[in-house]
Amino acid sequence: MSALHIIYAIARADFLERVRRYSYLITLLFAVCLGYGAGTGGLSLRLGDYRGLYTSAWIGAMVALITTTFVSLVGFYIVKNVVDRDRQTGVGQILAGTPLTKVSYLLGKFLSNFAVLLSMVVVLAFAAVAMQFFTAEDRTFHAGALLLPFLFLALPAMALTAAMAVFFETFRFLRGGFGNVVWFFLWTFGIAMPGLMSRPELDPSGLWIVYQSMVPAARAGIPGYVDSFSFGAGDKAAQVAPGFHWNGVDWTSGLVLTRLAWIAAAFALVLLGALFFDRFDPARSRGQFRAKPKQVTGTPELEAKPASVAVGARTAAPIHLTPLAEHDAAPAFARIFMAELRLAVKGYRWWWYAVAAGLLIAQFASPLEVSRGPLLAVAWIWPIFIWSALGTREARFGTQQLLYSCASILPRQFSAAWLAGVAVTALLGSGAAVRLALAGQAGGVQAWAAGALFVPSLALALGVWSGTSRFFEGLYTALWYVGPMNHVPGLDYTGAASGAQVGRISLTYLVVTAILVTAAFFGRFRQLRHA
Amino acid sequence: MRLAIENVSKTYRGNVQALRNFTLELQPGVLGLLGPNGAGKSTLMRILATVTRSTSGRVFWNNTDISREPDALRSVLGYLPQDFGLYPNLSAIEFLDYLAAVKGLDATSARKRIGELLELVNLTEAARRPLGGYSGGMRQRVGIAQALLNDPKLLIVDEPTAGLDPEERVRFRNLLSELSGERIVILSTHIVSDVEAVATDIALIAQGQLVAHGAPEKSLAEVSGKVWQVIVPSAELPALRQKHLVSSTAHRTDGVHARVVADTAPMPGARALEPSLEDAYLAALAAHRNGPAVEAAQ
Repeated sequence: MSALHIIYAIARADFLERVRRYSYLITLLFAVCLGYGAGTGGLSLRLGDYRGLYTSAWIGAMVALITTTFVSLVGFYIVKNVVDRDRQTGVGQILAGTPLTKVSYLLGKFLSNFAVLLSMVVVLAFAAVAMQFFTAEDRTFHAGALLLPFLFLALPAMALTAAMAVFFETFRFLRGGFGNVVWFFLWTFGIAMPGLMSRPELDPSGLWIVYQSMVPAARAGIPGYVDSFSFGAGDKAAQVAPGFHWNGVDWTSGLVLTRLAWIAAAFALVLLGALFFDRFDPARSRGQFRAKPKQVTGTPELEAKPASVAVGARTAAPIHLTPLAEHDAAPAFARIFMAELRLAVKGYRWWWYAVAAGLLIAQFASPLEVSRGPLLAVAWIWPIFIWSALGTREARFGTQQLLYSCASILPRQFSAAWLAGVAVTALLGSGAAVRLALAGQAGGVQAWAAGALFVPSLALALGVWSGTSRFFEGLYTALWYVGPMNHVPGLDYTGAASGAQVGRISLTYLVVTAILVTAAFFGRFRQLRHA
Repeated sequence: MRLAIENVSKTYRGNVQALRNFTLELQPGVLGLLGPNGAGKSTLMRILATVTRSTSGRVFWNNTDISREPDALRSVLGYLPQDFGLYPNLSAIEFLDYLAAVKGLDATSARKRIGELLELVNLTEAARRPLGGYSGGMRQRVGIAQALLNDPKLLIVDEPTAGLDPEERVRFRNLLSELSGERIVILSTHIVSDVEAVATDIALIAQGQLVAHGAPEKSLAEVSGKVWQVIVPSAELPALRQKHLVSSTAHRTDGVHARVVADTAPMPGARALEPSLEDAYLAALAAHRNGPAVEAAQ
């Protein structure tokens, strides 16, 4: 069998396995929502206070950019589990015993990732066509102007995202939650830096290519235009610029080659990943923030004895179990809570605890504004993997059946797990809380408390309903970046950026928290009933 | 103490019927649940353990419907699933302590019980090491220990000896025998010798239906006088298999010694043998495949 056939077989099997899952429908639904957002003006391009007429060129560029930015960000989290799934299901162990090469395996997985992302691109391309039809601002349909941005902007960006996902899975430090956080910052960097460096060819999203093509037409057609170009959510109020005429990006051979280079880079990334791929060797697959469990192969006591003696002696040993009295089995919530807390914080490397302790001490030792600002912000990203395990730990480690067959599991264990998450959040940020209390800032304490309740509740709800930690890790990192780090009012759940609105905003977070907790409990209740 | 399963059926998505009108009543003792792969054993175990809900029918624990009040059973249940996981960063003691808390044991009782259980499953030496480094057999022993944490009145063990070495298997069988006095133990397995060693009652399940139920003696009586040993040349073995139910073979210098289950001597010179539970199991399965389900003996 040729290598190409093997790669195709791997890609096909993986793609079929994915598209037959309900989560794939959610993936397509996400693409539909993006298309809807574009069609209704929720997501759009604008040139200052203006936008272009909804021509084929404008719509094609806009929806293709939605694809290259939003789909590449979220799509990474959607597809980044191909290798991990083989690891979890044990299929990897079977594959490891075959002549399959690392390169063939990873290329197959890359193509499967690419196919999943491509299906989202196709949905958005159809949405773009429908958008021009329904908005009817320009009835002339130019297939090339509308679809070429998908071909030259979206496809290379999707190839790179698919390759990145595979690459992250092969590099052991990037395989888990840490990689999910790293991706957000890498994506942000990838979008922003080419523009800041005036090197549009280094922009995988193609945003700057569109910018460079559109701005001259805007200068010529919009009086007083000062190179303003923005792309994002919410600009229903933008007016159509009557004098602005743009026929789309001029796809010169040089430009096309630049885009094709990203596809080549994607393949190169996969090949590079093969160097780090452990090929499902358990001895090479540990690491990250978690401490390494030592391998235990048997009890030394037994191994030291001749087998016949050990068998006779141990199988004949009397069996004694003290019966439990009725009162021994009295539910004690505090014990479950402590057990959940230990489960949450156990297993990290020493330096993780050292940094956590350092952040706590620094909150006490620093000026109040530093303590409740950057220090609290960092303290509330540090335990991200403790939070992201909430609601997903049971499925990840296969302990559902052990737990779900215990009495009162929902009110006791599930509540204790949530409370353990709240306790970790509160403890890591307790320095700032004490400082706020000592300074008499009741509003600040209220905002802090709302944040401490909100974060684990968000994690629990997303974990229960998505079944994976990746969504929380991606979404929370983004929220943390725009909220506590960039002080966007309303999104800063630490309360540092709320100002005079602190009472109203913290109250909003408390309401959202209540909704999230209710959703999480309902989700777990549903899982218990429909297991 | 009574567990009653009444007309329980389970249909999965895609109209896959795993159980069909399964009815059985259990009293204290060890029930060996035997059946081929895909017979519905694990589905039945999960329904009895309140992890899965039946599509129709009801299960009563001491006259309480467990689909309405699952906690009535859960508080006295010990369950070892066929497939389960452990938290790799916890030690065996920590993991058992965690589950003891979830099961509602107080700290003092839990500590004592965990110590005894670790001794029982021969994990005392490794008890403080992270579970992530345990071998398959050691993980299975942790699973056995957790099932016994709350001194269960109903103990459900699904393929419990999978991954255990022969010594641990014998030890586990002895444990089940010891435990069976005042509780109901359900042992689901394909390993007939495990059932033969400990079961006070046997239920045979195939294609989601109860094929036979009764004491081991009753199953053995069904094939009494129907088990034969014949000696045939190797070349004739395929023909023998075509014609008769062959439960085992062994190559010897004089030919293949085949153990055959048949109503009459399969060939001249056939020697009658004492039936084993494996003979009875294979005969009952063959009868089920060849005809309608045998009415369960109640």
